Amino acid sequence: MSNSTNLDKLRPIDFCDVLDRIGGDTSFLKELLIIYFQEYAEKKRLLQEAIAREDFTQVCELGHSLKGASANLSLSRLQRIALCLETAGRERQIQLAQEAARTLETEIQTLKAFLEGNPPGKFV
Amino acid sequence: MKILVAEDDLICSRILQKNIENWGYKAVLARSGQAAWEALQDEELRLSILDWIMPGMDGVEVCRKIRRRKKYKYTYIILLSAKDRKQDIIAGLSSGADDYMTKPVNFLELRARLQTGKRVIDLEDKLLVIQNQLKDIASRDSLTKIWNRAEISKFLSEELERGQREKKPTGVILLDVDYFKKINDFYGHAIGDQALLQVVCRLKRKIRKSDKIGRYGGDEIIIILPNCGLTEIKRVGERLRLSVGKRSIRTELDSVPVTVSAGCATSELPGTASADKLIKIADSVLLKAKGLGRNCVVVAGQELEPLGERKNV
Repeated sequence: MSNSTNLDKLRPIDFCDVLDRIGGDTSFLKELLIIYFQEYAEKKRLLQEAIAREDFTQVCELGHSLKGASANLSLSRLQRIALCLETAGRERQIQLAQEAARTLETEIQTLKAFLEGNPPGKFV
Repeated sequence: MKILVAEDDLICSRILQKNIENWGYKAVLARSGQAAWEALQDEELRLSILDWIMPGMDGVEVCRKIRRRKKYKYTYIILLSAKDRKQDIIAGLSSGADDYMTKPVNFLELRARLQTGKRVIDLEDKLLVIQNQLKDIASRDSLTKIWNRAEISKFLSEELERGQREKKPTGVILLDVDYFKKINDFYGHAIGDQALLQVVCRLKRKIRKSDKIGRYGGDEIIIILPNCGLTEIKRVGERLRLSVGKRSIRTELDSVPVTVSAGCATSELPGTASADKLIKIADSVLLKAKGLGRNCVVVAGQELEPLGERKNV
């Protein structure tokens, strides 16, 4: 039990937690992850534009939105990075926002790589 | 039962939808406050899950708008938010939400909270049914079940206003059972009641659906006739008189001969702008009908040409 919990913490996604939320439906989780990546692609573009024109309200809103979506899919690391982005927007800190956007992109790539080797259902 | 899910985040919305549909509800999705508000114009949507942060109008504003509206049945609202500080929860509930849940949503908890909402709505529906029944009881005469004096006076005021707007006359006929006291004294009140019920029954058969009939006093019946002028009311009054008096009323004791006198007035007459004044004029000509020997009809403004047999019972 404790081993599996520790393992979950290392993974970018907590499968047990998210599957519990959606009734154990792995194909539905796949569908949600596709939506997540599609939404991220659009939000990434908007985020880059917002950072370029220092639109902190937009940075804050995008951070808030990504934080919610990540929390719903039990992507705790991404959730924390999105929170940093939201805070950077609220506190009008452009460097912090740029750094959070970069970390976010790295973590997204990490998640994608992880899911390629560990598709939903493998650990269930 | 339909549930509104107002959530701009697509993933959260899909998860909510899937769970809600698994629990047997029908999910109606909205991705902005404005879309939620438009969906809520459907009166069947009584349960709502509103995200606080949404583009444009937020969940709290939707809550406030729901609570400001009057003609709709109660809508049970669960406000969703990532905001979990005490002051946020207080602000959310103060906007009119019934319940507050923080994200990410625990679905066992949401299911239980939706059941609470459904219980509240079911209870409200039951109370509304009882309220309508009580309102109906309070508006009707307990013996004859026709409208009582307060209700029929209200109808008359409304009808007079409508008549003025549409430039159409409104007629009033006051009918009084001739020698009703004697019927009560001779046969007893139970038979008197039966006779009155039969009189009402006969009158109801002779009026239009749009006409309203009420009990104005002890044995006084009032009929309101929309779009009825002096020419028509004369005919209607006579038809009603004949419908009551043409044959005796059978009661459990005896066959009782019953006639009525009628006083008619319409809003075409001067000084009839209010319900009270119109009734007063009808009442004054009813008195004249009584004075002329009963079992007849007198129309205000045409008192010299009473209709009927003018025979006593």
